[in-house]
Amino acid sequence: MSDEKIRLNTDWLCDCGGCHVALVDLHEKILQVLDSVEIQHCPVLTDVKDYPPARIGILTGSVRTEHDRHAALVMREKCEIIIAFGTCAVYGGLHGAGLAHSREEIMEHVYRRSPTTKTDTIPDAEVSELAKMVTPIDEVIDVDLYLPGCPPHPHFIFESLASLIEGREPRVTQDSVCGRCKRQMIKGDAREIRNTLDEVPDERFCFLSQGHICLGSATLDRCLAPCPNHGIACTGCAGPTMQILTEPYLDIRTEVSDRMARLTAIDEDIIKTYMEKTAKTQYAYAMATKMIGNKPTFLIKKWIADVEGQINE
Amino acid sequence: MGKILNIQPVTRIEGHARITVHLDESGNVEDARMNLMSLRGFEKFIEGRPAEEVPRIVNRICGICPWMHHLASNKAVDGCFDVTPTPTGHKLRELLQVMAHINDKILHFFFLAAPDFVLGPDSDYSVRNVIGVVKAAPELATQVVKMRQLGQMMLDRFAGKAIHPIAAVTGGFSKPMREAERVELLKDTQTLLDFSLFALDFAKNNVFSKYLDVISELGVIKTGFLGTVDRADGSFRIYDGKQRLMKADGSYVDFEGVDYLDYLGEHVESWSYGKMPYAKSWNEGFSMDLSEPKGIYRANTLARINVCDQMATPKAQEALEEFRAAFGRPAQATLLYHYARLIELIYACERTIELLNWEGITDTDVRAKVTPQAGRGVGVLEAPRGTLIHDYTTDANGCIESANLIVGTTHNIGPMNMSVKQAATALIKDGVYDQGILNKVEMAVRAYDP
Ligand code: SF4
Ligand code: SF4
Ligand code: SF4
Repeated sequence: MSDEKIRLNTDWLCDCGGCHVALVDLHEKILQVLDSVEIQHCPVLTDVKDYPPARIGILTGSVRTEHDRHAALVMREKCEIIIAFGTCAVYGGLHGAGLAHSREEIMEHVYRRSPTTKTDTIPDAEVSELAKMVTPIDEVIDVDLYLPGCPPHPHFIFESLASLIEGREPRVTQDSVCGRCKRQMIKGDAREIRNTLDEVPDERFCFLSQGHICLGSATLDRCLAPCPNHGIACTGCAGPTMQILTEPYLDIRTEVSDRMARLTAIDEDIIKTYMEKTAKTQYAYAMATKMIGNKPTFLIKKWIADVEGQINE
Repeated sequence: MGKILNIQPVTRIEGHARITVHLDESGNVEDARMNLMSLRGFEKFIEGRPAEEVPRIVNRICGICPWMHHLASNKAVDGCFDVTPTPTGHKLRELLQVMAHINDKILHFFFLAAPDFVLGPDSDYSVRNVIGVVKAAPELATQVVKMRQLGQMMLDRFAGKAIHPIAAVTGGFSKPMREAERVELLKDTQTLLDFSLFALDFAKNNVFSKYLDVISELGVIKTGFLGTVDRADGSFRIYDGKQRLMKADGSYVDFEGVDYLDYLGEHVESWSYGKMPYAKSWNEGFSMDLSEPKGIYRANTLARINVCDQMATPKAQEALEEFRAAFGRPAQATLLYHYARLIELIYACERTIELLNWEGITDTDVRAKVTPQAGRGVGVLEAPRGTLIHDYTTDANGCIESANLIVGTTHNIGPMNMSVKQAATALIKDGVYDQGILNKVEMAVRAYDP
């Protein structure tokens, strides 16, 4: 019986641990999964320190240190199928913002400049050195399946595991967050961009219609749209949709500004410029991926430099 | 030549860590350390961002307790913009925080720590995990999974997202609670309270009594403690209150979170990315020497249970009295963190019920008017792993100019290193060790739930 079980390894690289918690939070379904899956290496749950051969390998987090890189390579070697699990693994995630700051800047800030730190030491012994950049895992190893989401909703996690166990294609759509959002897109009369501090938008209508930036239309649904359905605009934590990734001249800001301009009385260029100025926010989760980083329209470093230049002037 | 043992990764904890044990020529412990392996640098990423966006971003510091960062950050931003949340907004935030504590404790005690106790610390590593627990005690395991699910669903239903929440906003909360939701939550919390009383009983009978010798020896060190207590009567609090910094002899000072810079400092060692906070105000510097530590205090469950004068809710108070009668105040044994965790679980359930019964909880005035401005705000609360501090300064546009964070876990980095060294020194003699012994060294870390 037990040798028929599908063997699973998981590992976390540089991340917040939330994706592993999301796995545990399959709840009753985890008991169901355990009927057909044998969990081997899984640092949060088991004491298996090495990497036994496995059919499925789940990797969360992005590559930040030599240690991360090594773990990714070993997982690739030992697992037949590698799933890049969560936005960090797929796109680099929030700390992909490492792209906007050098490793030296971050270390200097944390270990020397902080008001509480009383020493003058930068960790450099027995710790794995930080890489210059934060890298999504498919720039280090081949990836078979991608499951973005920060973290992915258990609905999608279960479907992907179930399909692998049953040896079929996962039944998931490529819809954007708007597909699950209950708000209605209407033509509104907003004349300027507003934010959450100005007003509480009407929960019946799309944020865009009311002059609030929402990244739902540019974001792949791997979350069931909890934010817009609970009064808060989407900030794109599951990463961009396939159209945005594959169409060279389409980009998060062009998609959103085009749509928002149609739904309001605000000029498209004004929205686009606003989104460039706030690029650190709009591209928070997917900055580190080359799919975004190498787009002809993507100039995040320049946009951030422009803003910081203005502040310093 | 001596030898270095690596335990990597330290498993069934919530972060990335390694233990290195340095043995001398005769195989006895020269030194033992816990190295934290990861640094992300959120202090830097949030610079320049509009402050009101930051509470959604800093969640990603930790996916185990994102609620804590979300809420501490909101408190800090309130401070920068000089806004006081409406009473209902304030209570809704506390409610979510206390509910998140419930889930966290179930996860930690039953999913991560329990295998050591239900199956025994020396059991084979391949079964010593929650799956092993499922096999050994299926009814208990099913019950635990259900309770964790209930807790997460409660957060999910009401606040949209249990992991990486979005529901708190500057000045309060994003949406009011409906009466139907309140009634539903109340019913579910009652179930969780019953479970938490059962959990403490279960642990008293099956864990704490059985492993009393391990508890009184493993990883035991003597330190001070830091926690939060009620401003008025010194009762146990986790969302709001004053900070209490206690010395190992039980004497203490109380201070307001905003003044933390006068009391706490951070020490850096070259071999770990984790900074080590210490009690600067004791004016004795920083040392992890086992017999004469300096500046070392601990945070997290045991610390909070030690610093409070009493629990603010009845069932939790009963549990505390029994605990104090057995172990004194302050209790020092490291494995008592688990016991304290279950007392807190009871408090969290009782407090959730209190808040749900508070008359204003369904008021629609959940959010105060906010105007971005230059200012400083310090948001402090008790995360499951210790006192969490977010300290922000904003510019005239309301964007973050600088930020300093002290994350709950880090308070215990110094103490964890000491406990690891204590455990390794006591257990590894003349080069003799096995898998069970190395697991016990890990258990000294696991108690702190890093
Ligand atoms: S994708 Fe999100 S939830 Fe998953 S590890 Fe990264 S930050 Fe955490
Ligand atoms: S843009 Fe946002 S608010 Fe509008 S439909 Fe899409 S997800 Fe909903
Ligand atoms: S921010 Fe957008 S992608 Fe992320 S959980 Fe919310 S709705 Fe989903």
